[in-house]
Amino acid sequence: MSTSTRFVFFADHRPWLNISLRSVMALFGGYGLASLVAATLAIGLPLPRPDAVMAAIMLAFLVHLLAALWVFGAATLTRAAAGLAIPAALLGLWLWLLPAGGAA
Amino acid sequence: MRFDKPRHFRQSMSWLHTWAGLVLGWLLFAVFVTGTLAFFRNEITTWMQPELHSARDDGHGLERAIAVLARKAPDAQQWSINLQGPRSPVMTLSWREAPAADERRSAGRRGEEGGDADSGLEAPGGRGEGAREGNRGHGMQGEGMRREGRRDRQEGTRAAGMQREGRGEGGRSEGMQREGMRTEGAPRQELRAGGEPGEGDARPQRGGEGREMAMAAPQAEPPQAAARQQGGGGGGGGGQQAQNRLVMDPATGVILQPRQTAGGNFLYRFHFELYGMDRLTGRWIVGIATMFMFVAIISGVIVHRNIFKDFFTFRPGKGKRSWLDAHNATGVLSLPFHVVITFSGLLLLGFQLMPAAVVTAYDGDTRAMAQEMRGRGNANAPLPRPSGEKAALTPLTPLVAEAEREWPMQGVGAITITNPGDARATIEIRQARTEGLSSRGAARRLVFDGVTGEVLERPPVAESSAVSSAWNLMTALHMGRFASSLPRWLLFASGVLGSLMVASGLAMWVLARHKDRETLGRTPRGHRLVEVLNVAAVSGLLIAIAAYFWGNRLLPADLAERNLWEIRVFFSVWVLAALHAIVRKHKAAWVEQLTLAGVLTMLLPVLNGASGGVHLGHSLGAGQLQVAGFDACALVLGALLMFAARKVSLHVPRVKPGAKSRPADASKAKEAEAVDELVAGLPVALKTEEA
Repeated sequence: MSTSTRFVFFADHRPWLNISLRSVMALFGGYGLASLVAATLAIGLPLPRPDAVMAAIMLAFLVHLLAALWVFGAATLTRAAAGLAIPAALLGLWLWLLPAGGAA
Repeated sequence: MRFDKPRHFRQSMSWLHTWAGLVLGWLLFAVFVTGTLAFFRNEITTWMQPELHSARDDGHGLERAIAVLARKAPDAQQWSINLQGPRSPVMTLSWREAPAADERRSAGRRGEEGGDADSGLEAPGGRGEGAREGNRGHGMQGEGMRREGRRDRQEGTRAAGMQREGRGEGGRSEGMQREGMRTEGAPRQELRAGGEPGEGDARPQRGGEGREMAMAAPQAEPPQAAARQQGGGGGGGGGQQAQNRLVMDPATGVILQPRQTAGGNFLYRFHFELYGMDRLTGRWIVGIATMFMFVAIISGVIVHRNIFKDFFTFRPGKGKRSWLDAHNATGVLSLPFHVVITFSGLLLLGFQLMPAAVVTAYDGDTRAMAQEMRGRGNANAPLPRPSGEKAALTPLTPLVAEAEREWPMQGVGAITITNPGDARATIEIRQARTEGLSSRGAARRLVFDGVTGEVLERPPVAESSAVSSAWNLMTALHMGRFASSLPRWLLFASGVLGSLMVASGLAMWVLARHKDRETLGRTPRGHRLVEVLNVAAVSGLLIAIAAYFWGNRLLPADLAERNLWEIRVFFSVWVLAALHAIVRKHKAAWVEQLTLAGVLTMLLPVLNGASGGVHLGHSLGAGQLQVAGFDACALVLGALLMFAARKVSLHVPRVKPGAKSRPADASKAKEAEAVDELVAGLPVALKTEEA
């Protein structure tokens, strides 16, 4: 924990590293979070399955957008990362609790 | 701006807007421009086939079509007629021969033939032909599809089965199976319709659209490089296809021999899967660029606090400020369009870009999803078997009139006659356009008894759920599926504005850094790279597109692989333009290329008249609006390019010695600086804070 905090702390003051890390977070972290949203909502939404899938995909793109805005808008890298990690953890928990295969 | 220093949220967004817009901006411009043209791809294809220009409609085309089909394909199992309409002047006739004795073998065989059709589809040039080819047996396909589908599933060779089956039925079902199936969010209903005649304008290419757009599936699609290179599809590829599809002038019954052309479909396909690479790869690239666009648009909105005030602000002749104003105005004016077109673009590729949803809900089996969605709709009844008794076909005109009465807005798009000449003949008439955007693809049909002319069934159209309505609404908007042409023109205009927005944004990146270069005394390599790419991507592309149309007319009409040569012209000219942008000074490159693009575009109507097409004076008077519209647009857009070239040639950088002096008083200087910073994505606030 402490090492990661220190790492982020140090990276916050390196302009190029800062921007690179944010870009990676926005691109891949954002996509990961969006995929998690798509995966979870596709079986978690109380809708008929095809509708749930479509709704999940639509929301997933919006989540990727918001994630990208968040990552670049956040004051520090730690906050940017936390903004991705916390929702991802919650979604992961939800997905884990959901029965496989969806509500249909 | 630096992320390692304190900054305001809007400064971050400004940085994000600048860079998200720049990084893939060149690609986005190409996607925007070709996509904008693709709104009129049928009209463009018609323009590129001057052999079709003088086709007319005298209201008696149907009788002629039936006579032609009876002569050319008396024993066919099924005839299809795609009617002329507002988007195409010609009728397309196609037929399907009676199946061979050995069903299974024949199915396999068809698969191979279909493979040819598919190669037509793959070759951007052949796209339309392939899709048309697919029209050949719509209706029939429902049956074939189910039959083959079941077998493939049993065999458990899913992916392979999809490939084979998809192609098996020709271009049309390629869409249904290979893409439609998987994606099925959008084109759902079409799939169940089992090969409906597309949007139903006479132009059969439309048919494939929904499913093509439907976005690619997660399954690996074997690259069709070899097939692509054959390029046969363009002119009707294999002999089989060529024989089974005819283009007829409705007023004379003459069978037309249009030249092979890549047509509007090349531009259409380029705009979402590029060219010369695997389709899925192209779609990924465009999909990623679309996401960047989405981020750039929304962050741009956040940056512009005074968005509505900005919209009414235009300060011409003020250098950078004018560019900023132009960028804002073009962006804000059609902001809803930009947001919707970008988001719906993502949705159209959504099943490919965001496979996770299908992975959890369907275990990654898009086919299962397609089936479940299809289950909601009305499946096609199996084709009636012929009775073997001969019976005269009822006249079509009254049936079409009845259908027209039933759908006054949508009109009749296509007619399928099964078992013609048999006592059990049936006639299916399908809407030209669907009734609402939210029910996209769910064209209504009427089925008549082919001998008595009685209505046999009126298959209901399934209601869309709220979610699929939303999805369909957006994707249908993206594809301009409207009953009338006005919204299509509005989309086109919005697309032009969007292209201007992207181009002005790109140009601003360079302009905004003018002062840096002044200070530095030289042009950094990165700046030069952006300059060259800007010229090559913006004016170079416009020249390439104009050259593509010129190539269409100047290449010999009977050239082999003509469609591919058109595409080669397009890319060669684009490369030449890029080289020109490298060797010339920045401003000179802009002026020369914009002028050339303008001249080439403005002369297109002349070229059209001189190379076998119907010229503007005649096409306007004769009501041939597809051709006249193309020529008129070429004139207007060409003139705009000339105007732009002139503006650029008159432009003098504000700070150059000998140019207009810089603003004298301090407030003006400060204002100018503010603009510099905003344009550069470096809001003033940061400076003042630091100070």
